[in-house]
Order: sequence, then structure tokens, then C-alpha cells
Amino acid sequence: MPHSANAARIVTPTMLVLWLALASAPLWIDAVGLYPYLGVEILIWSIYALAFNLVLGTSGLVSFGHGAYFGVGAYAFGLAQFNLSANLWICLGVATLAAGLAGLFVGLFISHRRGIYYAFMTIAFGQIFWTIAIKAYSLTGGEDGLLNIARLPADFGVVSFDISDNVGLYYFVLAVFVIVVAALWRLVHSPYGRVLAAIRQSETRAAHLGYPVWFYKLTVFALSAAISGLAGALFAMAQRAAFPDVMSVNLSGLVVMMTLVGGGLVSFWGPVIGVVTFLIARDVIGALTFAWMIYFGLLFMAIVLFRPEGIAGMARPLFARWR
Amino acid sequence: MALIEAEGVHVRFGDRVVLEQVDLAVEEGELHGIMGPNGAGKTTFFNVLTGRVKPSRGRIRLAGEDLAGLSPHAIANKGVARSFQTMTLFDEFTARENVMIALPAFRARGFDVRRAVAGDTGFAQEADAVLASVGLAGRSAVIARQLPYGERRALEIAVALAQRPRVLCLDEPTSGLGIDGTQRLVELIGRIRANLTIVVIEHEMDFLFSLADRISVIHWGQVLARGTPRELQANEWVRRSNLGRFA
Amino acid sequence: MLDLVPHLLNGLTLGLLFALIALGFMLIVGLMEQINLAHGSLFALGAYIALQFLGPKPPLPPELAAQWLALPLGWRYGLALLIAPCVAGIAGIAVEVCMRRTYGKDPLYGLLLTFGAAMVIEEGIRLTWGSRDHVLPLPPEVSGGFIFHGLIWSTYRFYAAGIAAAAIGLVWLLIEKTRTGAIIKAGAHDSEMVRALGIDLSKLRLGVFVFGTMLAAFAGIILAPIWGIRPHMGVDAVIPAFLIIVLGGVGSFWGSVMAALLVGLAIGLTGAYASEWSLLSIYILLVAVVSVRARGLFGKKSLLEA
Repeated sequence: MPHSANAARIVTPTMLVLWLALASAPLWIDAVGLYPYLGVEILIWSIYALAFNLVLGTSGLVSFGHGAYFGVGAYAFGLAQFNLSANLWICLGVATLAAGLAGLFVGLFISHRRGIYYAFMTIAFGQIFWTIAIKAYSLTGGEDGLLNIARLPADFGVVSFDISDNVGLYYFVLAVFVIVVAALWRLVHSPYGRVLAAIRQSETRAAHLGYPVWFYKLTVFALSAAISGLAGALFAMAQRAAFPDVMSVNLSGLVVMMTLVGGGLVSFWGPVIGVVTFLIARDVIGALTFAWMIYFGLLFMAIVLFRPEGIAGMARPLFARWR
Repeated sequence: MALIEAEGVHVRFGDRVVLEQVDLAVEEGELHGIMGPNGAGKTTFFNVLTGRVKPSRGRIRLAGEDLAGLSPHAIANKGVARSFQTMTLFDEFTARENVMIALPAFRARGFDVRRAVAGDTGFAQEADAVLASVGLAGRSAVIARQLPYGERRALEIAVALAQRPRVLCLDEPTSGLGIDGTQRLVELIGRIRANLTIVVIEHEMDFLFSLADRISVIHWGQVLARGTPRELQANEWVRRSNLGRFA
Repeated sequence: MLDLVPHLLNGLTLGLLFALIALGFMLIVGLMEQINLAHGSLFALGAYIALQFLGPKPPLPPELAAQWLALPLGWRYGLALLIAPCVAGIAGIAVEVCMRRTYGKDPLYGLLLTFGAAMVIEEGIRLTWGSRDHVLPLPPEVSGGFIFHGLIWSTYRFYAAGIAAAAIGLVWLLIEKTRTGAIIKAGAHDSEMVRALGIDLSKLRLGVFVFGTMLAAFAGIILAPIWGIRPHMGVDAVIPAFLIIVLGGVGSFWGSVMAALLVGLAIGLTGAYASEWSLLSIYILLVAVVSVRARGLFGKKSLLEA
């Protein structure tokens, strides 16, 4: 990702425009034929895809098993709610931490590997987590899922917001999205983010410049997993349940496809563009044909072959000043 | 005492012996040339010096400290920098960013996520000074991939210089440069060598003979001859070998 | 101790079938220097196509279908063993044509592309046959079991092991004993030389890709009664294939077969102790092996790792 003129800011003009548009969405989303729950899904998947792109786009590592951490977050949120405390902040914290630890554990195995080996290791770990989620019935409810997860109120001490309806939840998820976007923007433009970008371009050179490459790969993987887990926790709230299918290789692959199609390799906003495109097209085209996923898969293949820079890259000339 | 020294280095890949009993010592401030035909084991020797390849036997010492078993980043942190024969730049970065990331001050802040790099003019100034020293003043905002070949070669050296190394290892720096480019490189190395210990692999003999204080000839994985350029020109073996256009 | 023998036999059968999958996978990696993640999906496709031919509605014109259904199951099964890999081979052509553009590029492009292809094939399978498990109808000659030394033995395992071994033998003859095989091996080491010999490299690559696909599809049909037919079987097949070439090296025929038997036996034996989790052992094995050893996929530190 090239350096932006707004690299030093915490909040950029693009962010402001996007946040305002999103904040007003509940006012117009019904009018354009969509519905608030779609907004919730878009925001959650955007957080997930942005976290994933920390690994793919920023660090150049291909993970085909990121669903594992999204899923760990979702289950941890539910289990914390049932067994620990029905406090939103505690449950979100536990989910993020659990996914981060899972990422750290996996990272210890994979961070000394590159390219193909790295990718295959992530698939293998993804399958391991998925199988455990299905087989550990007493913990996860197996294929039936972990049901009756509540949308806990957002309690700020002085005031407490009820987020059990979709619009309330939407605003809560939007607030999380705002924080995650600002934090990740700063992260990718910080020295840490630039070292990751250097590692993407040449692990060899970065190592000979004195950077402990594997440790950077480990930390970024764990961090990405943690934020994916946060997204998973929000998803558990949105669905009021946690299911193993988000951990399957198909849904892990979906986040790869959305991120790449949107242009995650070249743009910070690529993952968000990909998620918005995918989810809206899923609702519109998916209503017309069952074969919708095939078309999306073919689009993904075409993008890999002809335009790896994705939608964001193709649109860049149009919005040259916009980043 | 030698600043960097190899003692009895053996490297074997499978059943192939690539380096056999290589001893080499480079004094502080020296410019030491390594020459030899392709496949003689020169680059492998650099890979051993910089931690990419672990020798099956032997030691590498930097100012008396054993480097054996250390990983590339640890050796780099001890002050051994290298350039690569096949250029290894951060192609999507600007020239300035390439150099910036190599600065020890930047590395010290490698896990800092709180401040943006762009807000820090100190790094940029330091990087630009390094670029200027290799003749790339005014080119700092150009993306590395878009630089012409000769300037990429210079950037390759600038990145290694930016590490503020105690020992600078250059792997075939003239590779692909024309006569003019090579001449400019001779001038560049002449400028930077004053406060630096340099080990340079090269098969361009004129280049090496005009710069080096001492030269080691590696062939078949062994050091076959060593000495000052003058001594080597007198050396029977070097003179007769087809290495010696010089002879 | 004798209790373990059936599990050893299962492992052996699995290993021989893995070898078939891995040999095709290896030929493709060797000649194209790209990983084909869709290899497993093509393996699954073979099983599904055979299922279609052996089910009540074969994909044939009405008159032909009636004649087909009149044949005894044994005949239909034997023919499906030949036809289904050919049909899967056509899908293989489509994948190869897409993959062509990635030759010589960063292998991550090939990986991403074939990942997409795998998704498309798997989604196609789900749309056509649904997500549930299917059972492949088997002729009575190879199904059932018998009792020997107080243990129940599945006839099918013996049949599967035998036919897989025969297929491996044929592949060996083709690669090691024919001129085509020599060219394929030469191409894997030095594509320039193959071009210099006046051989059309792109045709050779297409041919090898289709051949590899057919081997996988064939293995899919044989493995179908053991694993059950489900959309997910593709991932479960491509992982051992990769594992096997990491262990056995690319370009070594017997290396791959030995590695495949090892992997098969390991999985068969874990199945003896925790059958619930036996598929999981493939993944754990991959993690264990790659953690220790991640060199030598191409005999040297290769492009695929950069």
C-alpha cells in the first residue's frame, strides 16, 4: 500500500465522509430497498476483513484459515456470557483475548514459514479449529451451534444503551468500526506498519536489516486474529448464536476473496469495498440465482488473473485525490 | 586483532562441499576483495558471514565475538550489513523509505504503533543524507522500482550504509553496470571507505585491483591465494589462471 | 496386536490412494512450478460424477440412459471408473487454461487462483448434489465383508488397495519407461531444454494437468465408499497430497509413494484409537511435518518459498 498524504493523521477526510454516510444509513437504508441488519453485517465483516488484511495486504501473508479466529471470538463471547459475566465489555474482551491467544499459538508454528508452506499451515490449523468446534459438542453445541446468545446492553456507567434491536446494534457496531478503522490506519502508517510492509516486499532484506522477521509475523498474526475475534463476537451478538460454519475453509476463503476483490493488496479501504460489494451483490444477485457464489468465485479468479489490485486499484485513477 | 574473521569454515549442501576450510581475516578499516569464478562459493561465504547459511564447521568472529548460530537479524544488529548481487530492494517503497527503514534509529522503534512515520522529519532527513552520500540526492521521492538500474545499484548500497555497519559486505556491486557506472561506483566506494571496513565480492578485476587493500581468491570452495593486489599480480597461480585478465 | 491389522490395512489402502492423488499433484507442481489447490476439488468431482452415473438418473440421453440402466451394476461401475475421470479431466482443462497465466509468476498467484477455482468447483458440487453425504452404489463383488481369524474384514479395502496399486504401477510404467515420461521429467527440471527439443511445452503442460486430474478423479471414485461423498472431501484430499510432496520431494516417484504410505498408515493407526478424530490427524500431521521440515519441496530452496 503506497503512502497516503494523510498518513500522519488519526482521522482522515475519507474516514469522516464514510462515517457520516454510515451514521445516516438507518435513515435511508430502507428507502434503497435494503435493511438495517445488512448494515450490521457489512460493518462486522468490514472489521473482520480489515483485520485480515493486516496479514494479507500489509504483511503479504496468505492465511486461508482466518475463520478460526472469527469463530473463536464468537464462541468465546457466548461462553463468557453464559459462564463468566453478562457484561458486554467483559465478554468482548474475553472474545478478543481468546482469539488473540489462538492466533499467537498458531503464529508460533507458522511464523518461521513463508509462501506456500505458510498458506497450507493456515489451512490445516483452520481445519483443526473447525473440527474441534464441530466435535466438542458439550462446549460449542456442535453443528447445532451455541444458541441464545444475548445482545447485552452497552453500559457506560452513567448511561446504558439497549442494543437489542437492529438499529441500536448497528450504531454500537459502527462505534467499534470507527475505533478499529482509526487504530488500524495509525498502525499501518506507524514504524511497525512500515516494517510489516517491508517484510511483505522482501523478508530476506528485512532480516538482513536487523528485523526479527518471524517475531513481526507472529505479532501481526496474533493482532489480526484478536481483531477478527472481536468481529466474531459482534457477529455472535448479531446472529444471537455462534455456528461452526464461519470456521470452515469456505467462509475463511470468503474473507480472502472479499479482501482481494475489493483491492486490499493496494488500498487500506480495499477490504471495506470488497465487503460492501459482496454483501450487497449477494442480496441483489443472490435473489435472482442460486449460483451466485459461483459467479463471485469466477470474479475472484478473474481479478487474481487480470487485476490483482482489485476494485480499489481500478478506481484509483478516478479518485486520485481521494485517499 | 581482525575485525571480522572466518576460521575453518566448512559448508556442505547434501553431499556437495561448497566451502572447505576457509580462513579469512579482515582488519578494521580494510577493504578486502574476494574474487573467484562463478560457483566458487563466494556468495555462500557471504551467506555464512551474515547468518543466512549455517556452516557445518568453523567459526565466524566479529571483534572476537563468535557469531556462529546467530540468525541474520542478530548478526545485522551486531553491525554486519550486506548488499545483494540480485538486487533486493523494497520495490514499492520510495528511495527514502528504503533507506529510512534501514536506519538503526528506525529499527529501535520498529514496534512503535503510536506515531506515524510521516510525522517524523528526523528519519527523512537522516535518510536523505545517506542518499546524498551515494549520489542520489533529489531522488528520494522516487519509487524504487522506477529508478534506473544504476541508481538502484546505488540505492542497494545506500540501504546497507544506512545501517551504520561496522562491516559492509558488498556482493558483486558492479554487476550489470557499464563502464561509466563502474567508474562512478569506484568513486563512491572511495568516498565511503574512510571510516568503514568493507568486504567486496567481485569478478571485475580492474575494479577490485584498483580499490582493495588485500584480496582473497576463492576457487573450489577454498582460498587459493591471498595478498595485496601487487602480490597477487606476481602470483604464479593467478597469473596463469584464466581469472587473470590482469596478468 | 492382531486387532491392529485391519487398521494397518486401512492405512495401507488410504496410503495407496493418497499416492495416486499425490502423484498427479506432484507432476503438476514439478512441471508448472505452481500449486494446484483445486486438485482436491477435482478429486471430489470425480467421485460425484461416478455417483451420477451409478445413480438412478445417469447424465445421458433418454434411450441411452435406459440401456445404461439395464446393464448390471458391475458393468456400470467398471465403465464409470473410466468415464468419470475423463469428464473430470474436462474440468481440469478449464482450470489449466486459467492457470496458464500464472506460470513463471509468484506462486501465491497460482495459489490464490486455484483456491478460487476450488471454491467454484465445490460450490458447483453443492448446487448440483446438495451438501449432504452420498453413498456410492457398489457392485456386490467388491462390497461386503468376511470373517478371518475372528475379525471382520471389508472386501472393499482389499479391492481398493489392489486397484490403487495397479494404477500406481501403470503410472510408474508411463513415467519411468516411456519417452513421454522422460520428456515430462525433463520438462520438470528444464523447460528450456524441452522447448529446444521442439516439444510444445504448453501442450505438454495441458496433457500432464489433465492426466493428474484424471488420477485424482480416479482416486476419488475408489476412496468415495471409504470417506463418503461430501463436498468437503476435496480439502481433505489436497492436504495429504501436499504433505506427501513435502515429505517425499518433488520429482521422486518412489519418494512420493513411500511418503503416501507413511501418511496413510499414520492416519489409519490414529483411526484405531480415535476414529472420531481420524480426519483431524491429517491436519495435525501436516502441522507437525511442516513445522520441522519446510525445505526440499523442489530439492533446493525454491521460488515457491520466496
